[in-house]
Amino acid sequence: MTGLTLPDGALASAVQSLPDDSLSENRQAALARFLERGFPTTRQEDWKYTDLNTVADISRRWLEGGAIPADNNALKKEIERICSSVDADWIVVENGVVSPAATPRIGDGITISTYSESSLAPAFEVPLADLNAALLTDGLHIRISVNAPDNKPLGLLFIDGSDDAPAVAQTRISIEFDAGAKARLVEYQASLGTADHYANAIVELGIADDAVVDYVRVQNRAGGHSQTHRTEARLGARSILRYNGFDLGGQLIRNDLDITIGSPEADVSVAGLYIAGEGQHIDNHVRIDHQTGPARSAQEYRGILGGRCRCVWNGKAIVQPGADGTDAEQANHNLLLSDRSEIDAKPELEIYADDVKCSHGTTVGQIDDNALFYLRTRGLDERDAIRALTRAFGASIVSRLSIAELAESLNEMVEARLTGLSDGESR
Amino acid sequence: MLEITNLSASTGDTAILNSLSLTVNAGEVHAIMGPNGSGKSTLALVIAGHSDYAVTAGSVTFKGKDLLQLEPEERARDGIFLGFQYPVEIPGVNNAYLLKAAVNAKRKHHGQEEVDAFEFLKLAREKMALLDMDQKFLNRGVNEGFSGGEKKRNEILQMAMLEPDLAILDETDSGLDIDALKAVAEGVNALRDPQRAIVLVTHYQRLLDYVQPDFVHVLSGGRILRSGDKSLALELEEKGYDWVKEAANA
Repeated sequence: MTGLTLPDGALASAVQSLPDDSLSENRQAALARFLERGFPTTRQEDWKYTDLNTVADISRRWLEGGAIPADNNALKKEIERICSSVDADWIVVENGVVSPAATPRIGDGITISTYSESSLAPAFEVPLADLNAALLTDGLHIRISVNAPDNKPLGLLFIDGSDDAPAVAQTRISIEFDAGAKARLVEYQASLGTADHYANAIVELGIADDAVVDYVRVQNRAGGHSQTHRTEARLGARSILRYNGFDLGGQLIRNDLDITIGSPEADVSVAGLYIAGEGQHIDNHVRIDHQTGPARSAQEYRGILGGRCRCVWNGKAIVQPGADGTDAEQANHNLLLSDRSEIDAKPELEIYADDVKCSHGTTVGQIDDNALFYLRTRGLDERDAIRALTRAFGASIVSRLSIAELAESLNEMVEARLTGLSDGESR
Repeated sequence: MLEITNLSASTGDTAILNSLSLTVNAGEVHAIMGPNGSGKSTLALVIAGHSDYAVTAGSVTFKGKDLLQLEPEERARDGIFLGFQYPVEIPGVNNAYLLKAAVNAKRKHHGQEEVDAFEFLKLAREKMALLDMDQKFLNRGVNEGFSGGEKKRNEILQMAMLEPDLAILDETDSGLDIDALKAVAEGVNALRDPQRAIVLVTHYQRLLDYVQPDFVHVLSGGRILRSGDKSLALELEEKGYDWVKEAANA
């Protein structure tokens, strides 16, 4: 029993109130597991810098209020806006509820079903997966075959929010990429509404041999909204995963990206950008497990921090015994715009094989005074010069965006976020 | 145009400029020469408004206005251009972006309409042709990965785009091969104008073979020891800086 859990009775009845279906048994088992374990706490090494009291508190108030978000016009408008801003086939998950009826006809080669239809049971071994499985209304299973059309990316919009009472949403998606499949996906996490919100999502990516996957996750939640998010990817032989993560909004954000290289000659590249301002906490944990070699993984995260905020980056590469020929790189660079910003950066390497190439590098810096002066002598005022230098710092990640359809929309979001930082959130 | 009177400046506890006076009028080209550490670059940076240097005495006026009250960007928009000895590399800030922002900041300040992308490109291409610069430099990061000569040409390009009233070129000739030196000198000569003043800060007189100054000043110990016409530069080249110091002490 840990210190951070939820009231047994209220949680049990929340689980009980979900539909009686093929997931019911699994929910009860997951509930028992969560009640035994609770939320991870800062006493655990992996959660040292991220205190989940905020999300536990929202969950408690949600259980007390028993709110089920009502139909919300603002949410509908926002869904329309986002879906029309990026040319993709969108699947919308609203407040954690998947509805197959709302998914588009995507064409041959892509099949979409719910967990209950497919008799799938969500796993709940890792922390927070138990809470997710216990409270999950239903999950979505997507299978992408080698014949799937690739003229447009597939969009997953996780959108939450309520104006009435604190709310909690659980989302679970598993995507299987068949051998040789080529696919591009955008996962867009958004929220709005004045009530506190906690979203807990798990995405599983099963990438078979020779598949090529471009995956972009964009998180642009509303100010008072928090999320814990976990992506688990497993790569087959000669498969390629290019993953981009962008965190712009939200209050307390924790993302775990857990990649397992189970077969030789897989190639993983991860590029992430987090921009945090006043009151934000953004934590990215990336773990890449090289179980076999040769294979390559490279990750680079950049952070722009302004105002009183805290970001965490923890990049871990594990090279298991026998995973010879592994090439693992990790880099994390941070730009602090305020002396009240804090970054906890931790690169980690665990190497149990001999023939490997591993590197890591972390930097924390401020705006370069020489560059700032140079720009000002050309007539740019201080604010514009700082914005130009800040934008430039993030540009090396933004320019690596692997899905062109998202570029315009992402640039606008990043620009808007940087404007927010330079308009008084920083310093 | 520029009136420097009894200017003293320091950085930290170190006094660098020591009651320096200098008058520069429109249409004139001045060369400021001197040994290393004499305060040449400090003078240039103080005029541009670098915050590392504190003015402890004296005054500087530009077109009749108190220059020392102005922020660096205000000085730039008002017509002062500093060509850096070591132009800063700014990866990720596009050269074209900087040039356009700089031109428009100045235009806005003077109540003129901002240039659009089309007009800007036309103007930039014209000036680049003059400096024998490849247009690919527009799309690179500011000075990012540029050679020494390319950086200096880029400074002259910025100057040509901004058409300042007063250009101060700090060691623009250092580290240049003869072709780059000629190209830079041509760029400077093209900007000679009865309405414009140019101050060349240099260690060697080599640049002055290509850009003929109207006045030459020798700076040492933070003050001007001697002023003259271009023959002073040749005399210096022959006799060395010690000669001026000895003459001043005598």
